Amino acid sequence: MAEFSKQLERLEAIVRRLESEDLDLDEALKLFEEGIERLRVARQQLTQAELKVKKVLEIESPS
Amino acid sequence: MGQPLDIFAAASAEGAWTVSEVTKRAKHVIEAGLPPLWVRGEITGFKAWRSGHWYFSLRDKTAQLRCVMFAKQNFRLPPPTDGMQVFVFARPSMYEEKGEFQLTVTELLSTDQGGLWKLAFEKAKAALTKDGLLDPARKRRLPPFPRRIAVVTSPDGAALRDIEAVVGRRWPVAELIVVPAQVQGVKAEASVCSALNRISRLPVDVLIVARGGGSVEDLWAFNSERVARAVAAMPMPVISAIGHETDVTLCDLVADLRAPTPSAAAEAATPDRAEVIAQCAVLGQRLARALRIASRHVVERLDRSGDRLVRAMERKLEQSGALLTAHGARLDALSPLRVLARGYAVARDTDGQVLKRVAQLPAGKAFRLRVTDGEVNGRVQ
Repeated sequence: MAEFSKQLERLEAIVRRLESEDLDLDEALKLFEEGIERLRVARQQLTQAELKVKKVLEIESPS
Repeated sequence: MGQPLDIFAAASAEGAWTVSEVTKRAKHVIEAGLPPLWVRGEITGFKAWRSGHWYFSLRDKTAQLRCVMFAKQNFRLPPPTDGMQVFVFARPSMYEEKGEFQLTVTELLSTDQGGLWKLAFEKAKAALTKDGLLDPARKRRLPPFPRRIAVVTSPDGAALRDIEAVVGRRWPVAELIVVPAQVQGVKAEASVCSALNRISRLPVDVLIVARGGGSVEDLWAFNSERVARAVAAMPMPVISAIGHETDVTLCDLVADLRAPTPSAAAEAATPDRAEVIAQCAVLGQRLARALRIASRHVVERLDRSGDRLVRAMERKLEQSGALLTAHGARLDALSPLRVLARGYAVARDTDGQVLKRVAQLPAGKAFRLRVTDGEVNGRVQ
């Protein structure tokens, strides 16, 4: 899975940029689209997950 | 007053004793006459053999006693050092091979406050401090959204169940990698180190080292300098949750975070999914609002541009209007109507042809005369 924190960081950056800068509509729309996509992926990651537990067996038995 | 010693008497009556007969007899006499007992003394000549057995003497001001403490009795103890005042519980006996009177020690307690444990702990702690491993500046921040969480703990303990439950509830987005280890007993130190070593090669974001409560001996592996150094060397942040809240182990001290319980460690390692979902919802709202605002800005800008365009047009038109008026005035001055107004008249024939010359006006010719306020018909006489 893509790194969740990176996803969220980028999303925050997009929102901040969109909020603060005087962008032309084309650019604003592009950012918005990317933001929505990242939001969708993040949401999916958050909701579909069920804890995976992997047990690594102790191969080297300490003596 | 006594009888002179007849050195041959025993030999003559019973024959000479062999060495082993003497040691055997002495052993019997000692073991029958001296039950297992507590002895107090100062350690001297301490030596730990590779076999794990310890050999030392106990002494006071006037005497010494040879002691042995076998590996199966001492494995849970940090080794004592010479000069230490101790109590031992021991069985007095005879070491026949050497003909030595000795104590076989089964318990060893330091009389210092906190005992051997405390001493060994402080010693290891001092070594770690010297190497800067307990420096608070070394503590790393935990990752906010861990993908892989590793756990070193007993595979069948309550600690693991608690951690699984908490991570499953709060942050199932993560993957839990469990590396089982023996957390008590003679092999614990090596087992924990081996588990840490394996994890150090895995792509793990945060590590939890956990063990439920127990006696100071039970927790000893987590007070070993070797384990502490291994924890300090881990490439990812480490949360330590060893024993109860009151037991602070070396492992706790070198870890990036110390948690009071395994559950608390799992909570510290994970964000709360519900909160993150709420955070995402807020971001979504901000995103939508930001787009609305951005597009409104664009519209406003367009509006402003439109307004300016209209105003510019208007100004242009106004200027044109004024020009037109001026031109109109000039035109007006030149207008034939103005000439008529001054008293001149224009004669035209019935076809509208202007009659300017006498030749155009023979007698009897009908014409129309335009004066300033209208036309009249006329005829040349």
